[in-house]
Amino acid sequence: MSLWQEGIRRHRGWIAASLLGFVVLAFAPALLPPFYLRVGTLFLFSAALSLSWTLLGGFAGYWSFGHTAFVGLGAFTAALLEGALHLHPATLSLAVGAAAAALACTLLSGLLAWPILRLRGIYFAVAMLAVAQVLAELTSNVDAIKGALGIVLPRVVLPGVAQHVLYYRLFLVLLFAILAIAFAVRISRLGQGLVSLREDEDTARMLGVPTERYKIAMFVLSAALTGLLGAVYAHSLGYITTESVYRTDISLDMIVYCLLGGIGTLIGPIVGAALMTVVTQVVLGQLLGIHMFLTGALLVLLVLAAPAGLVGLLARRRQVPAA
Amino acid sequence: MMPLLRIERVSRHFRGVAALDDVSLDVPEGSISSLIGPNGAGKSTLFNLVSGFFRPGAGTIALRGERIDGIGPLRIARRGIARAFQIARPFPGLTVAENVRVGALFGSLGRRDVAAVTRDALTLAGLAARADQPAANLPLGHLRRLELARAIAARPMLLLADEPCAGLNRSETEEIIALLREIHRRGVAVLLVEHDMAMVMRISDRIFVLDAGSKIAEGPPEAVARDPRVIAAYLGTPEED
Repeated sequence: MSLWQEGIRRHRGWIAASLLGFVVLAFAPALLPPFYLRVGTLFLFSAALSLSWTLLGGFAGYWSFGHTAFVGLGAFTAALLEGALHLHPATLSLAVGAAAAALACTLLSGLLAWPILRLRGIYFAVAMLAVAQVLAELTSNVDAIKGALGIVLPRVVLPGVAQHVLYYRLFLVLLFAILAIAFAVRISRLGQGLVSLREDEDTARMLGVPTERYKIAMFVLSAALTGLLGAVYAHSLGYITTESVYRTDISLDMIVYCLLGGIGTLIGPIVGAALMTVVTQVVLGQLLGIHMFLTGALLVLLVLAAPAGLVGLLARRRQVPAA
Repeated sequence: MMPLLRIERVSRHFRGVAALDDVSLDVPEGSISSLIGPNGAGKSTLFNLVSGFFRPGAGTIALRGERIDGIGPLRIARRGIARAFQIARPFPGLTVAENVRVGALFGSLGRRDVAAVTRDALTLAGLAARADQPAANLPLGHLRRLELARAIAARPMLLLADEPCAGLNRSETEEIIALLREIHRRGVAVLLVEHDMAMVMRISDRIFVLDAGSKIAEGPPEAVARDPRVIAAYLGTPEED
């Protein structure tokens, strides 16, 4: 597979940096005070979500404005199934719940793909927004789903690992697993086809890129990973309601982080999530009254100063596409 | 001998108007053929039918004896027909090399030797020096060559080139002619749509003349140029000749 060898060789600097990043982040809990560990957990979760979003939005150019649909569906699938099965130990319950969440999102996105991916641009974005709304309404109003009342999830305990460190570690592993998947997609034939369809879908098809199949594959993969994250997120919360997992701000944050860091790149969503998490939680957390106002103003400034994202700003002189 | 491309009794109507009416033509293996005719003659419609953007209303299109009408642009590309557009359609956010690479990756040969095929197509089109530049920054003459490089990186049997010289100056036109000849020399048949008669006469083995949706003449350049029907329909009235 010369394509893989070539991709790995070309990006070996990024691979080394990612491994280093993983090691540093893996040892961080020993040094960080609990508050910063919570900020770190939120960063890892946000970055993983943004990376899952970018598989479709960044690579194929299909911007979903309702990806929280899959966070919510994943969370409630896990919560309901685990509540019904009562598996022991709770780690097994989490694993089964997370797998079921990914499966549920695979099925839903597979069903939605055919009608919804025929829509391009803003129409697709709005259709996904509607999907999220419909799922949120169903979750709140169908009594069996208990969205309004809320569901308590089994408490996962690992001997010797504090509760807040556990989810930090889980999201760390998930983030790097998703990063590896996204990297594999990006350097493969699939990835290059996706990028060409983002640029010009009709021309891509004329050149032999199976655009329909590729779009559907990415939609489903992106949804499944988002659902998996939703299930783990539900466990980290311990108790979920419709409002806590079907959140428009989650949908928007995924996009904002990708835009900030550099859309279409892999490092972009991670940089964007790191920046915004630190800024909103640490810097602006002290200024609760004007927190949202400052966040908005900062976003506007960043987008104006760096329309191609921070990665784009740094790479502009070098003509090197950041992977 | 079986022709490379056989278009047989093909018609296509748009809102009751015949864009193509009962047109048959054979593109031989190893040829450079040209499709000429006044505006509205049906040249673009024919290209769109062959590359699969439209289905013929009647008639059949076959590549080396296998029907390709109605199978869609994706599978037609896979079977070995590549198309270069008059209005170049590069992937603007990708580099020149990445553009050509898409052709190499998804062409009829699949993923073998992608790097070598890409390099080769870039060199052939004289774009090697610009390989790492964004395609969006290329001037028109280079864009046309990129269009051709991306098409031949797919290793097609037949290249459809839609007015590759339109709007180019003399030296750029010469570059395109040389490139088309080299593509042809490598065993790819070329079917051109072109308005530049001097160019068509120089480069073509065979010329098909369409007028108002019908084929009115075909043959080698000298014969077509002398054909009174062609002169009347395409080159103007006989008095002007």
